Amino acid sequence: MGKRGTTLSGTEATANRPLTASLETSVGAPVSPLANESRALAAWELVSVASSTLIAEWAVLALGSNKTLFAVPIACAFGLMFYSHYLRGETLRDLGWRTDNFTRAMRLLLLPMLAGSVLLVLVGWFWFGGKFSFGERRAGWEVFGFPLWGFAWGLLQQYVLQSFINRRAQLIFGKGVASIILVAALFALFHLPNPWLMCATFLGGLIWATVYQRAPSLYALALSHAVLTWVLISTLPADALHGLRVGYKYFG
Amino acid sequence: MRLTRLSRALIAKSIIEALFVIALAVYFAYINFHPYFRGSIDVADERAVAGWVVNEAAPDERVEVHLYINGHFVSRLSANAPRADVLAAGRSLDAYHGFVFNTPSLPPNHSYEARVYAMHVIGDGRRRVLHEIGGGARQFSVTADQENNSVPEAWWESEGQR
Repeated sequence: MGKRGTTLSGTEATANRPLTASLETSVGAPVSPLANESRALAAWELVSVASSTLIAEWAVLALGSNKTLFAVPIACAFGLMFYSHYLRGETLRDLGWRTDNFTRAMRLLLLPMLAGSVLLVLVGWFWFGGKFSFGERRAGWEVFGFPLWGFAWGLLQQYVLQSFINRRAQLIFGKGVASIILVAALFALFHLPNPWLMCATFLGGLIWATVYQRAPSLYALALSHAVLTWVLISTLPADALHGLRVGYKYFG
Repeated sequence: MRLTRLSRALIAKSIIEALFVIALAVYFAYINFHPYFRGSIDVADERAVAGWVVNEAAPDERVEVHLYINGHFVSRLSANAPRADVLAAGRSLDAYHGFVFNTPSLPPNHSYEARVYAMHVIGDGRRRVLHEIGGGARQFSVTADQENNSVPEAWWESEGQR
């Protein structure tokens, strides 16, 4: 997709990017049959990636005894996402792999992150008795260092959530509340049936989807994701979060 | 054109994932609901519950069997009693696949159902599944005698069954 992105400029870009362009301007404008078809396809893409995630989280863990089986739905999902980016002519820059808007994105994130952190501290204090663990070493620390692990994992999740799901949600509903809520709801759905994690991911999803629509910077979102995850696991007890387990693994 | 290609990719992905989930479900059923146990309950009365069982996937291994009467666990043992008829019928590689449970003292003048299950150990033993053998329950009745007259109505509450 990167190679393709470098070739898309000027009139060539206009000619080669009918799917994205037609929908970016679709709000309030007459909707063409092509736009309708593209919108339906975007919805199908969302359902398809969501089903891959749910298959990995629920079916593979419940029915399979080998964790390498995860590779099948994960490969299907990423294969579709990459191919979709290619067909829709989306460049790396379009997707948010850029640093020029990092500062702006961080500025937008700062206040919601602060509010989210204060909320987590309050919930941890009043609901769980204030047993905070900000200084504790975490799983994965020995291998990569928790901050690096948190950032990398956040980057991967934010890529799927924003560069694919958010962009497809915008193709369906346009920028704004509806697409943001859809992104947050799907993010929470992927964290079923962990109740506290679902609440946290829904709120996080709202923040990150909003910021991405204004300043699409995956690096800033990944940093925010890592910091808020650290605050989450430091303020709420591990047994309440079930070790961040989701899907069928939640019960095991 | 691009929409068509994307549609095709989505259809292909759906098919691949559907086949993957089907394969996963079949594999799960095959592993957990082991279809290779063969056996029967030949006798079920107030003295004994006896029969034979063979794991056709590993015919030289002994199978652990569990006896349940009226839904309550009674006992378990390894099916290694001699059964020349099982060997003669070509069901096993050796004759030691029989089991004989002594029927516990049961309250008299009632009918009972005995079920025998083969234990299937999956993988490293973290998961174990019981498979009923003999095609279902065997009914039997118990008449009164000196031994079982004092057995309570809830016989699993009697000494030795708790």
